[in-house]
Amino acid sequence: MTKEELKQLKPDKVVDARGTACPGPLLAVKQAIADVPEGGIMEILSSDEGTKRDVPRWAKKKGYEYLGDFEESGYFTIYLKK
Amino acid sequence: MAKKMTLALFSGSVDKLTAAGVILGGAAAEDMDVEIFVLLQAAFAFKKENAMTNDRVAEITDKKDEFLASLKRLEAPHWTEAFRKAKEMTNVKIHICGFAGKVWGGEKLDDFIDLADDIVGIGEYVDAAENSDINLFI
Repeated sequence: MTKEELKQLKPDKVVDARGTACPGPLLAVKQAIADVPEGGIMEILSSDEGTKRDVPRWAKKKGYEYLGDFEESGYFTIYLKK
Repeated sequence: MAKKMTLALFSGSVDKLTAAGVILGGAAAEDMDVEIFVLLQAAFAFKKENAMTNDRVAEITDKKDEFLASLKRLEAPHWTEAFRKAKEMTNVKIHICGFAGKVWGGEKLDDFIDLADDIVGIGEYVDAAENSDINLFI
């Protein structure tokens, strides 16, 4: 999805992990995924560059869909579909 | 079936324990079963009176102050906190090597921080390592 398309998504859950170091963001995502309904969208905010690689890889293993990410204002915004 | 990781934790230094905590976080994200065997110098770090005050580093020791300051700046959790979080999120068992405990005057489980589950002999490590997908020595 393009950055503009990602921005149009209405997340069911937002995980703001900015300021936490690896593996904090990934663990925050794992803990919060239970709060996302089936087919729901999670938005993850992270200032840790490794997160944008860790989250898609983790999502693939867990059977979730990685929708895309973009960098803006000094942090990454990543989208998953449960 | 969950993948298994065994970790032979020899180091009692904050840098290596922090690295172990990061790896444990990765294992927790993957729902791995983890067995940690606390050997020799690591048993020192697991003693109740040492866990929070021990600030020894194993590598690049001339940059210790810079390293510890960076951990603080990055808000990296203390290694005990990282281990605790991993235990909350996946199946992590922490075994103190009986010999290692005695080296540092730790005879009973109560001599160690509450992250430790039991005191064992080395045979348990060998059995666990034989059956693990990943085996690390730190």
